[in-house]
Amino acid sequence: MDIWHAVASWTWDAHDETCGICRMAFDGCCTDCKLPGDDCPLIWGACNHAFHLHCILKWVNSQTSQAHCPMCRREWQFKE
Amino acid sequence: MTVDALSSVCNLGVLDSLSGASISEILESWNSFCLITETIVKGDDANLSTSYSKFQSDVCSLCKYGLRSLVEEHFLLSLQGMSEKHGAPNFWKNFDAYNNVPDSEMIDRNTQEDEVELLLCKALEEISLEKQYQEKCLLMLVNSLQLCQENNTSTEGHPLDMEKIFFSKYRLIVSSVLMTTMPRQFTEILHSYFKGRLEELSTIMVGDYDDDNELQDNNRPTNMDIDGTYDPKKTLENKLVRNIGMVVHNLKNLGFTSMTEDAYASTIFLLLQAKVYDLAGDDYRTSVLESIKGWIQAVPLQFLHALLDYLGDSMSDLSPKSTKSPLASTPSSCYQKSGKPSEGIIRWQLRLEYFAYETLQDLRIDKLFEIIVDYPDSAPAIEDLKQCLEYTGQHSKLVDSFISALKYRLLTAGASTNDILHQYVSTIKALRTIDPAGVFLEAVGEPIREYLRGRKDTIKCIVTMLTDGTGGNSNGPGTGDSLLEELNRDEENQERNSLDDDINTDDKQTWIDVQRWEPDPVEADPSKGSRYRRKVDVLGMIVGIIGSKDQLINEYRVMLAEKLLNKTDYDIDTEIRTLELLKIHFGESSMQKCEIMLNDLIDSKRTNTNVKATINQLSQTAAESREHGASFDILDATIISSNFWPPIQDDDVKIPEPVDQLLSDYAKRFHEIKTPRKLLWKKNLGTVKLELEFEDKTLQFTVTPIHASIIMQFQDQKSWTSKNLAAAIGVPVDTLQRRINFWISKGIVAESSSADSNDHVYTLVDDMADGGKSVTNNEVLVADDEAETSVASVEDQLKKEMAVYEKFIFGMLTNIGNMGLERIHNSLKIFCATNPVYDKSIQQLQSFLSGLVAEEKLELRDGTYSLKK
Repeated sequence: MDIWHAVASWTWDAHDETCGICRMAFDGCCTDCKLPGDDCPLIWGACNHAFHLHCILKWVNSQTSQAHCPMCRREWQFKE
Repeated sequence: MTVDALSSVCNLGVLDSLSGASISEILESWNSFCLITETIVKGDDANLSTSYSKFQSDVCSLCKYGLRSLVEEHFLLSLQGMSEKHGAPNFWKNFDAYNNVPDSEMIDRNTQEDEVELLLCKALEEISLEKQYQEKCLLMLVNSLQLCQENNTSTEGHPLDMEKIFFSKYRLIVSSVLMTTMPRQFTEILHSYFKGRLEELSTIMVGDYDDDNELQDNNRPTNMDIDGTYDPKKTLENKLVRNIGMVVHNLKNLGFTSMTEDAYASTIFLLLQAKVYDLAGDDYRTSVLESIKGWIQAVPLQFLHALLDYLGDSMSDLSPKSTKSPLASTPSSCYQKSGKPSEGIIRWQLRLEYFAYETLQDLRIDKLFEIIVDYPDSAPAIEDLKQCLEYTGQHSKLVDSFISALKYRLLTAGASTNDILHQYVSTIKALRTIDPAGVFLEAVGEPIREYLRGRKDTIKCIVTMLTDGTGGNSNGPGTGDSLLEELNRDEENQERNSLDDDINTDDKQTWIDVQRWEPDPVEADPSKGSRYRRKVDVLGMIVGIIGSKDQLINEYRVMLAEKLLNKTDYDIDTEIRTLELLKIHFGESSMQKCEIMLNDLIDSKRTNTNVKATINQLSQTAAESREHGASFDILDATIISSNFWPPIQDDDVKIPEPVDQLLSDYAKRFHEIKTPRKLLWKKNLGTVKLELEFEDKTLQFTVTPIHASIIMQFQDQKSWTSKNLAAAIGVPVDTLQRRINFWISKGIVAESSSADSNDHVYTLVDDMADGGKSVTNNEVLVADDEAETSVASVEDQLKKEMAVYEKFIFGMLTNIGNMGLERIHNSLKIFCATNPVYDKSIQQLQSFLSGLVAEEKLELRDGTYSLKK
């Protein structure tokens, strides 16, 4: 056996399929991005809800006071 | 004069006044006049001069009594009688020999041509002599008439006028006599005569022409030399022309003007046609138009020029009185103005050139199919055709004939889609040369498009042509290049256009566009906008076959996926290039997914090296992987973003333990590097390069993982039953049987039936003596049978998507009975407005329905679908 060229697909290890903000698949990318994966990463909040980084950043920045998680309304904090 | 004669005859009073003496005088002179006329006309030269004075006095005395018209009539009548009795029969007798010879034979026999020529010359000479003599007689009469006119001092008309009238009367008589007695084959004799002469001339001329070219090529400008070489030829040529001129002249004098012209015109045309056929032939690689034109200048025009010159000269020489004045409108009068290229010559040239164009055009149109088959090479022929068509304007002929040729030869079940497409592309290119507006292309392309739409593999072929250098495997290299080229060309155009846009302001551009506007050709279909027609774009037309670019892109995506998944190195330069070109043409957004796919490959390469580097570092310390018997060196992975790839077939397969271990290690490492992402292996996909070691030889293979798994099971155990093997690999038995056939066909595994009839036993063939013969050593064999496609084909996808609508369709058909395709399509659009939304095209629906028909769920009759009972 010389070379075994295998094929795999990657997926985000999130327990959901789609981003709650843009409704696009996690494995895809947010509406502003062209390329999935590293270019459009996911981010988890302290509440364990995951979103596209770009999506949640937009959301957080648009909130005047303290931002809340769009899913559970808890205060949004990036998971360490 | 006639009026006068008439009045004198009718005036009965005059009769009364005649005395007996005058009556006897009249009778006497009449009798003697008749006698002399007879002898004169019979043609005894000696009598002519002696009896002239007597004749004159007779005529005078008759005229005196106003019997002039009678005299004239009698004389002419006797001339006519003479030519009827002697001249014409004698003349035609010469050709009696050919009366019974069939035409074709006569033309065929070259030896006879000389004979004909001699005969014709002789006969013409004879009759001309006779005619000259008779003309002399006529002149005599005219002179005597004039004489008595002068005596009478009556001043009627100009003497020249009288002469002219007499001669034209006479000519009319002669020609009518000859015409009425003319034998049927005389025209053919004339034709064959001219043919022979012209051919002779043309060989001389061609020699001239060639010599001329040679001389020009050799750059020998010494006039002396040229004169020296030409002298004998020139004289020969002159002699020939003079001969012909003589014949033509004689014929003309006999009143055969139109027939003669017909004869030599048709001969020239025939010769020209033969020349065109000869030059054009079946060779499309060279342009023949120029050489034909050159030939026209060199041979027929030279001939005509010489002939007309000669005729002009000879006419003024031989018959100075009759047709010298340009007002005497014989049809050839315009030819007499010799010197510079006369009107006649120019007219002839135009005629000949038009004829040549038409002939060549017909020839080319007949062969257009073949010409287009080897299009890039046959460009000169196309160019010729274009010029011809510009002259003749018979585009519709081209369209009709080409369409029928296409239908007959190309659009048949026997032709492969690739060939049809290739021909289509060539057609587009070729016709674009002929007609940049693309109107005729439209007409010609329609049947092809229509036909291609009915073929299943059209899209696939198009995409293959677009992407591969070699379009399919039927025609080898060269077939598909054209489309890729087209992509390139398109790109260049695009760049140029964008450059233009930068330079030109909008106003300027509009103004230029307006100036460039030309009305559509007459043949254009007014129902179609001219905008649409402007741009003849091969890709656009190809896409037009399919109907929408989405379908094309989908197919491309599937093929791209297939290709990428089977790549073992990460070399995707050609794909990137193709994609860039496609992006230019189809727009960035529609190619987005394909771009992501390519990007995945690039990322995979990076990740792969990254993962392997870190794993190897680890393994150096732990030396763990060594224990498994396989190192990460052998593993490469392509990691895809599955959302953007076409649906991928997912069969589970158990791969050999060591590899499986490798894969999970790899996945773990990936997870560590790229948290929180993880890998899902598609274990049935990919390629494996294997080296099988036997006792005496080693064989190399490139196979799919499932094949590899199968063969690796034989490493430990030489013989497997099919059930056990299937279980070990984790695939159904029938899949196994299909896959193992590959190894059986290579002679590596042998199949034998076991005691259990459902079970087969596969044994590894150790001794390769017999089985391995067909396999060459170290040959890389790629397993490629139908079932291997790793990506779900477009049809499968469509089927999956359409399955939702199946029950709608069945429901409708149960209620309504039978429905046409369009009706089903429209109904689905109405009923499935909400979830699931029906968004398929009518073509997709059609292919789905035909699938159902094939499964015998539906029936298709007279274009309507109904449930199968």
